[in-house]
Amino acid sequence: MNRHHKKRDLILLFCTLVSCLGFFLPSLHAAMSPEEILRKADEARGNTEGVEWEIEIKSIEGGREQNRIIRVSARSFNSLAEFLAPPNVKGQKMLMIDRNMWFAKPSLSKAVPISPRQKLIGGAANGDIASTNYAGDYRIVHTADDTINGEACHLFDLNAVDKKVTYDRIKYWISKERLVGVKAEFYTVSGKMFKTATFAYENSITVEGVPRPFISKMIITSAVMKEDVTTMIFRKVSFKNIPDSMFNLNLLLR
Amino acid sequence: MANEDNSTSLAWIKKTLAEHVSFDLRILTYGIIQEPANSSQNPGNDFLQMPHYLADLEIRPDLRLNIDPLELSVKPRMRLEYSFWQEGLRKGESQWDDDWYINEWLARLRLLQNLFVSYGRENLQWGPSYLFSPSNPFFQDNGRRNPYLEVPGMDFGRVVWIPGGTWTISFIANTDEGRNKITGPVPFEKTYALKLDYTGRENYASAILSYREGSKISLGFFGGWTISDAILLYGEGMITQGSEALYPQQDSSLFGASMIKLHEDDSTIKPVVLIGGSYTFGTSGTLTMEYTYHSPGYGNVEADTYYRLRNKAAKAIPSGGLVSGLAQMTLGQTANTGLRFLRKNYAMVQYTQTNIKNKIDLTVRWIQNLDDGSGQGTGLVTYYLGRHLELFSVGTVMAGRKNSEFGSLMDYQWMIGLKYTF
Repeated sequence: MNRHHKKRDLILLFCTLVSCLGFFLPSLHAAMSPEEILRKADEARGNTEGVEWEIEIKSIEGGREQNRIIRVSARSFNSLAEFLAPPNVKGQKMLMIDRNMWFAKPSLSKAVPISPRQKLIGGAANGDIASTNYAGDYRIVHTADDTINGEACHLFDLNAVDKKVTYDRIKYWISKERLVGVKAEFYTVSGKMFKTATFAYENSITVEGVPRPFISKMIITSAVMKEDVTTMIFRKVSFKNIPDSMFNLNLLLR
Repeated sequence: MANEDNSTSLAWIKKTLAEHVSFDLRILTYGIIQEPANSSQNPGNDFLQMPHYLADLEIRPDLRLNIDPLELSVKPRMRLEYSFWQEGLRKGESQWDDDWYINEWLARLRLLQNLFVSYGRENLQWGPSYLFSPSNPFFQDNGRRNPYLEVPGMDFGRVVWIPGGTWTISFIANTDEGRNKITGPVPFEKTYALKLDYTGRENYASAILSYREGSKISLGFFGGWTISDAILLYGEGMITQGSEALYPQQDSSLFGASMIKLHEDDSTIKPVVLIGGSYTFGTSGTLTMEYTYHSPGYGNVEADTYYRLRNKAAKAIPSGGLVSGLAQMTLGQTANTGLRFLRKNYAMVQYTQTNIKNKIDLTVRWIQNLDDGSGQGTGLVTYYLGRHLELFSVGTVMAGRKNSEFGSLMDYQWMIGLKYTF
């Protein structure tokens, strides 16, 4: 009988602790600085010690549809993207070592340097498939509260710390509860919005035993041509140890 | 039960193959029309005997096996070529050729997490430049002029050590010319290089110290800087002592001058420096500009002697006998001087736009010889006809007098073809 009581008490204690945690979690988030929140949101978009994922890109531009499947191996702010499909781009590779980018394809004798702004496909720039480092690349100039699809969000106005990043200004909505970016608006130097993006996080990776939400979908819509939409679906996400040699131009097999 | 075991084994084999083996196959078929220039280098196309029409079929499979720590790859090739001559001594002739070969292969072993050794036939290219890659002591052609033609591989042994994320040290031994048969005054010799690479946050730099057996040491270098999201700046070069190329020198010989290795024993530094930059527009096109100072190239006086010698040799070809033989030898030397470019100053402008309407890749390029005013324009267009098939076209036009660098060999060349990728 005593044993049953003990077991019941333990279950009650556990439920109480979980409830308390649930109650205090928003206040824990509230205690985080905007920079910490932004860093946390980056973690769900690839900024980890080593992660590999596949991205399926569907682009509709001017009424024409185009698809790509890319395998991305990323660590910190370095990534290697290998094109898997369709057959006519299979074997192409894009190496991103921080802000340095190279593009190699089987028919090209050597990898050529490219800029992050160069278009990958449809509305996606090369920089969009790399790990996100908004916390390092942008300064938070204004914060506000807003709601996206009924979800309470922090709205951060981000300005590029220098001219070296893909976008000059971003308005970024981060879920207060989940601490992931749910929407972004991208602006040119002249202040004109040129594309928007929404994000979903149905993937999960486990880092040091703790499950972490990870990006599963990014939908980019052109602000000028609303019917031009690029959808990036992130799948087969796995956390793994990726060595320096993965990001070495000397060892890039064409 | 036995059926279940078989299907499990089959599934395991399929999974293992999918994980460790990759196979790509490309089939290219193309035609080339070219108009040989009627210049003193190739009078009436009698000397170089270039075909007017070419039709090719190429089968290019690429196989890779990756069983960590070992990586193996092989690129066997088959080419069937039809040629037809419309000018010169072979006018009206045609010829079929077939060629079966391995253009590249590689065996690479990871000895430690950061130490790799490899041996194989490679097309070992590096550097950010488009016009050519002066820092590379092994290859004169960087394959950028026409990306549908493969650069022949050479045999290399390599040791690559990555002491940290930002530094890489490579020792490279070029042991054989492989398929890259080198003709002219600078024959193949074993060459060894020590390459040091640095990759920073928004910049990179490399230095290549190389020694070709029987020659002096050369220092190659390249570097690049991502100035902004849209602007890249880069540079590349090579510093050598003297030059093993042929230079024209006036003398009392039959043609009044001869091609000789004038600077072979020179200790003077002959640098080649290329600087370039690119800007990517908001509409996604990229404009690239490069300037090259090619110090081993001919100055005005040498160029005048060179063209005078070439004209005299061209006129002597019909003479017959020894004079004709000497003329042919001289034209062989003037056609292949051992220099990558003939003169000293060059500029290149290139505009590239990919994925135009999700269908078209476009590159237009102009190379200008700033010393003799001649130029070469190239247009590359790829039109994607679905997931497997692409239609491509590479057109090249030359501008300049017949006694100028780009006006000497060809008036134009147009290549059109289809590429099917499995």
